[in-house]
Amino acid sequence: MPHLFRLVALLSGMAFTGQLLAADIDAASYGYPLSNPFEATLATTPVELRPNLPADADIDQDDYRVRLRPEREFELPKNFWPVTKMGYRLAKQRGEAPLIFIIAGTGAHYSSSTPEYLKKLFYGAGYHVVQLSSPTSYDFMTSASRFATPGITREDAEDLYRAMQAVRAQHPRLKVSEYHLTGYSLGGLQAAFVSELDETRRSFNFKRVLLLNPPVNLYTSISNLDRLVQTQVEGVDSSTTFYELVLAKLTRYFQAKGYLDINDAMLYDFQQSREQLSDEQMAMLIGAVFRFSSSDIAFTSDLVNRRGLITPIDYPIDDGTSLTPFFKRALQCNFDCYMTEQLIPMWRARSDGGSVAQLIDQVSLYALTDYLKSSSKIAVMHNADDVILGPGDLGFLRKTFGDRLTVYPLGGHCGNLNYSVNSDAMLEFFRG
Amino acid sequence: MAKPFHNALFASLILVSSLAQAQHAADDDGFKQPMQHLHINPGLDQREFERSSLGALQVYDPLESWNRRVYHFNYRFDEWVFLPIVDGYRYVTPNLVQSGVSNFFSNLGDVPNLLNSALQFKGKRAMQTTARLLLNTTLGVAGLWDPATRMGLPKQREDFGQTLGFYGTPAGPYLMLPLLGPSNLRDTGGLVADFAASSQVNLLNVAETSVHHPEITLLEIVDQRSTVNFRYGQLNSPFEYEKIRYFYHESRKLKIAE
Repeated sequence: MPHLFRLVALLSGMAFTGQLLAADIDAASYGYPLSNPFEATLATTPVELRPNLPADADIDQDDYRVRLRPEREFELPKNFWPVTKMGYRLAKQRGEAPLIFIIAGTGAHYSSSTPEYLKKLFYGAGYHVVQLSSPTSYDFMTSASRFATPGITREDAEDLYRAMQAVRAQHPRLKVSEYHLTGYSLGGLQAAFVSELDETRRSFNFKRVLLLNPPVNLYTSISNLDRLVQTQVEGVDSSTTFYELVLAKLTRYFQAKGYLDINDAMLYDFQQSREQLSDEQMAMLIGAVFRFSSSDIAFTSDLVNRRGLITPIDYPIDDGTSLTPFFKRALQCNFDCYMTEQLIPMWRARSDGGSVAQLIDQVSLYALTDYLKSSSKIAVMHNADDVILGPGDLGFLRKTFGDRLTVYPLGGHCGNLNYSVNSDAMLEFFRG
Repeated sequence: MAKPFHNALFASLILVSSLAQAQHAADDDGFKQPMQHLHINPGLDQREFERSSLGALQVYDPLESWNRRVYHFNYRFDEWVFLPIVDGYRYVTPNLVQSGVSNFFSNLGDVPNLLNSALQFKGKRAMQTTARLLLNTTLGVAGLWDPATRMGLPKQREDFGQTLGFYGTPAGPYLMLPLLGPSNLRDTGGLVADFAASSQVNLLNVAETSVHHPEITLLEIVDQRSTVNFRYGQLNSPFEYEKIRYFYHESRKLKIAE
C-alpha cells in the first residue's frame, strides 16, 4: 500500500514538472486592429486604443548628465562636445517608490518615443523611472561605452550596469523601495544580460525584469533588418528614388486632405487613404531607419577607436568641418558590414579567436538559457509576427520561459506596446 | 504578346493573394513569418537605400562650414541659455497663463497667415483665417483664448517664404540662422517681409508698443521656444546637421505644394 502512494506521488510530481505552456493570446479576443505587421510597426496603436497616460506637465522629470568616461572629452573631436557625458532622464515620485530602468532599442535615444511612452506608463503607476539610451546609440557609445563597439551583449550589459550605478549615485536622496528593469527590442536582450550580471554583483537585486520583443538570435535579427532594404519596391525607377516616392505620396495625401497636420493618428489615417504604402514600401522604410542606425554605429565606433575605416586617423575635425563625406561612406555599411569589419575583429583580438557561430551564441539569448530557465523573475512579451524573429525563435522562447512567455498574435515589432491590453499586462507583471 | 500579359496577370495574382494572406499561417511554434511574402531582390545587391540617401544629401549648401558653426552655436545657446529660461518660465507661469500668452501671439501671427493666403489666391484658407482673426480678437478677448479652433477653424500657417515658393522662387542656399535655426535664402527674405508686414498692420498696437518695451518681444521669443518641441541632439546622430537640413528642405517643399 505505501508503495502505491509513493507511485501516485511520483506520477503527480512528474505531471507538474511537465512543460508549463506559454500564454498564447488568440487573435479574436485580443482585439488589436492592425493585422499587417509592417503597418503595426510603423504606425503603432490607434490613439483611441492607447492607455491613459499622465501629461508631461504632471511629471516631475529632468535630464541629467553624468561623466562616465572622462578621457572621451579629450579623445573625441571638438564637435562631439554634446556627447562626452552620458545623458539620461529621471522622473521622480514624491517620497519612496519602486524604481524602474528602461533600456532603449537599437540606436534609440533615451528621449525617443518608445522610452517616453514607457516612462509615462510606469510613472502613472507610481514608479520612479530612469530612461537610458541604447548601448548602440551614438551618445551612449561616445560617453558610456568602454570599447564603443556595441554588439558583444555581455560587454554592453556591463556598460549599462555601470551607467545604472552612476545614475543611482547621482541621486543619493531618492528613496527607492525596490528595483525593476525593462527593455524593448535590443534593449530587451540587454536587460536579460544586465539581470544576469546583477545576480553576482547584487547592486540592485532586481525584483522583476521584463523583456519586450527581444531578439533571440541577434544574427537572425540583423540579417532580417538588412534584408528589409532589399525589397523590390514598385514605383521606384531611374528618375524617382524611394524617398521621393514616399514624399510624393505624402504631398498628394495632404493636398487631398486640404491641410497639413502631422500627429500620431496621421500614419494610421494615411494607410487608410489611397496613397497607402504597400508591404514592400513599408518594409523598405523600416529597413531604412535601421540602416541609418547601422551607419551611425559604424561611423562612431570607427571614430572613437581610431580604426581609420571611415574617418581617416587624425583627420582634423572641428565645429565647421563637414562630416558629409564620412556620412556617405557610413551609409554603405549595414549591420553585417559593421559586424564583419569592426565587431568580429575586435572580439577576436580580445578573446583569442573564436568562430562567428561562437560569437552569435555568446551575444544572443542562447548564452543565458540556464539562467533564464531557472529565474522566475524574468518574463517575455513577444509577437507572433515580429520581423526581427526567425523560424525557431519562438520555440526557443517557449522552451526556455514556459509560462513566463506571452505571445501576442499581432503587433509587428513593438507596434502593440502602447495597446492598452499590453500596457495592462506589463503593469500587472510588475505589480505581481 | 501573350506571355508578358500572362506574366503580369500571374504577378498581380500573387500580389493579390499575398495581400489577402498578409495574415500568414503560423508554423508549429506559432511564428507567422512576416517577411515570407515580401518581394525581395534575390541577389540582395539592390542599392536603392544608398541611392536614395545619397540623393537626399544633395541640398545646395555652399556656406556649410559657416552653417555648421552656427548650428553648434545654437546648440550651445539652447542648452545653456535658452532652455533654462524656457524651463524657468514654464515653472513660474501657471498653465492657463502660458496658453493665454501662446494664443495671444498666435493670434497676431494670423495676420501674415491671412496676407500670404490671399497673395497665393487660396480663397478658402484666407476666409477661414479672417474668421479666425475676427473671432479670436473679439470673443477670444484680444486673442487670449482660441475659440476659433474649437469651432472647427484650425490654424493654417502661410508665410512669405511659402508665397515666394508658390510663385516659383527657388529656395537658394541653405542657411542656419543664429538663434532662429534652419532656413534658406528665400525663407529668410520671407521672414523679414512677414515681420515688416506685421509691424505695418500693428494689430492691437503690439508692434508699436514693443519698440519701447523689449520685454514683449522677449516674451514672444520665450513663448515661441517653449511651444516648439525640437531639441538639438534629439535626432541623436553624428549626422544630425545633414538630417535637419534634409527635413527642413523637404518639409518646406511639402508646405509650398500643399
